[in-house]
Amino acid sequence: MADLTKVVDAVYKGRLKEIQGLVQEALDTGAEPNTILDEALVKGMDVVTQKWKEGQVFVPEVLRSAKTMQSGMDILKPFLVKGSGEAKGVFAIGTVKGDLHDIGKNLVAMLLESVGYKVINLGIDLDPSVFVEQVEKGVKYLGISALLTTTIPQMKVIIDSLEEAGLRSKCKVWVGGAPVTQEYAEEIGADFYAVDAAHCIDQLNSLR
Amino acid sequence: MFKRGKLGGLDGGQYRPLTDSDVRKVHQAIIRIMSEIGIKVANRKGFELFKSKGMKTDEEKKLVFISQGLLEDCIDAAPSELILHARGNPDNNIVVGGKRVHFGSGGTALNILDLETGEKRHSTLEDVQNVSKLLDYLDNAHFQVIPVYPNDLPIEKVDINRFFAAINNTNKHCQGGVYTIKGTKEVVDMCSMIAGSREKLQKEPFISFITCVISPLEIDQTYGDLLMTCAESGLPLSIPAEPLTGATGPITIAGNVANLCAETLAGLCLAQLVNCGTPVLMACTSTSTDLRTMSYASGSVEEGLINACAAQMAQFYGLPYYGTAGQSDSKIVDAQAGFEGAITNLLVGMAGGNFIHDALGLLEFCLTASYEKYVMDNEILGEVVRVLKGVEVNDETLAVDVTASVGPGGNFIQEDHTFEHMRNEHFVPTVADRQPRVNWEKAGRKDTYTRCKEIVRDVLQNHKPIPVNEEIVKAIRAKYPNFVQ
Repeated sequence: MADLTKVVDAVYKGRLKEIQGLVQEALDTGAEPNTILDEALVKGMDVVTQKWKEGQVFVPEVLRSAKTMQSGMDILKPFLVKGSGEAKGVFAIGTVKGDLHDIGKNLVAMLLESVGYKVINLGIDLDPSVFVEQVEKGVKYLGISALLTTTIPQMKVIIDSLEEAGLRSKCKVWVGGAPVTQEYAEEIGADFYAVDAAHCIDQLNSLR
Repeated sequence: MFKRGKLGGLDGGQYRPLTDSDVRKVHQAIIRIMSEIGIKVANRKGFELFKSKGMKTDEEKKLVFISQGLLEDCIDAAPSELILHARGNPDNNIVVGGKRVHFGSGGTALNILDLETGEKRHSTLEDVQNVSKLLDYLDNAHFQVIPVYPNDLPIEKVDINRFFAAINNTNKHCQGGVYTIKGTKEVVDMCSMIAGSREKLQKEPFISFITCVISPLEIDQTYGDLLMTCAESGLPLSIPAEPLTGATGPITIAGNVANLCAETLAGLCLAQLVNCGTPVLMACTSTSTDLRTMSYASGSVEEGLINACAAQMAQFYGLPYYGTAGQSDSKIVDAQAGFEGAITNLLVGMAGGNFIHDALGLLEFCLTASYEKYVMDNEILGEVVRVLKGVEVNDETLAVDVTASVGPGGNFIQEDHTFEHMRNEHFVPTVADRQPRVNWEKAGRKDTYTRCKEIVRDVLQNHKPIPVNEEIVKAIRAKYPNFVQ
């Protein structure tokens, strides 16, 4: 029986150079591809994200683990049952008009990808119509970021635009960024206020 | 109210984290970043200015490669020291440059801990007025950076009212960030009215501006416009860069310092190209990132290290330096708020930072200000200033004569020598409690926070800075529909 703990450990520790060899080894010793995915790669990521939430792991370590997992997936993909290993959902995220801040928003994007969501990173300084278009195209999860007190009113404009387009009920809206608060999120009718990426992940997972 | 003294401008430079050889290595890295990696100048007018000076550019990526020659010319063009004036009280003018150390507040917090309830709430124009008044009173605040944002005003009214609220309630130099070009022009015009004319304001600037460079290595459209508008005004300008370790700048202190210097110097170059001779403060707001949460860590010890290194680099270039220290990431005025502020203020002060902002009042990643913390930090700064004052050694201070007259087994309490030196040799705390326990208990067992709160209330009630002449205020009111005070 293949020893999957090595794969779990390699994902957890972000051993990028070793992961493909270990996944291949697991396949060669008879482990089921879907077992390797769920019991090793995904499990490794779960360990990392849990420890990150507890404050023991640094964000660059989470990202390295995610990259390691993806590298393992490249070996595994041809053998997986169709449909498994696909994205948990699609999340579109962007920074509002007039605001050029993107590091926090990009971080949320990277971390959501690392735990299995497909992320459409829309960019910065975005017209409300860009967000509306995404929902028109079928995106169900929408993240809006702003870092300036002078630009957060744009969040309400976007939510109002979704209402006007009759799309508000078709999506869940997250708001985040330094000046945003839970009270503000409620006031403008957002579904979620995510104080950081970890909260965003928990909130998203709770919907599934 | 406690006794006030004037101790800004003492020499720092005792703490030097970089050796001379390190400074030269950082300088070489700065040259490489500016001339080989390049600075993105998204602002079209700024880009063209660099191009017109023969700088190599990349049109598509909007990159400007700033040559060592242009950098040196621009550093030479900028004054190596400048006087930041104080309205209403020339004794509060500060000479910024060399290794002379001054401390002041920083901006711009969006919230404040309410003086009555202790709860966090949005700051208002009234808070700008009150904090300014408090800063005018606190003797170790040598200047003011406009501390909080007036959330009760729409954006078009912010610049002019924020500056006036600060200016009218303090007789110390006021520096502030700006939000709109129109607002910036209104501020310059309003202050020209207060000074008597634009020329008088330029000659004795009691206000100055802050416009940021975006890390890593970018002068963006909005701040580029604001930077050029401020440079055109001829008033002094701080151009801070804020690479955060491992996020918007390298994780290593040396790399972070090289990046931040390249960024602020790129801004300095642009200001000189717009208006040769513009007084610019080489400026650092850099600190570390807590990579567990990706929080900006405003109270980290590395902030002290980075800002001390940057002060050394400014001294190397012969430029006045705006640094950062003194904040805390605590949410309340507690032990963390005290020790984080104390360590960074001491480090950057001892490095000889000229214009150390954020030194008082800020909590929670600079998002929240606290009236009580301004008072507590003023006391910390008093102790830092005492350190800078150093130890004077001569026959009088060695005190062999008085020791001889007291002799073995005597005491020094009644000696003239004691009487003459006791107030100037020692820092006299006003917040720290040194009462016997029984007296402290009788007085209500007050902690630091409560003692600070009482001082704040006293100052806000009794301290009266010299306001702007009422006739001039009337004229300002008549001229600007946005003016609400």
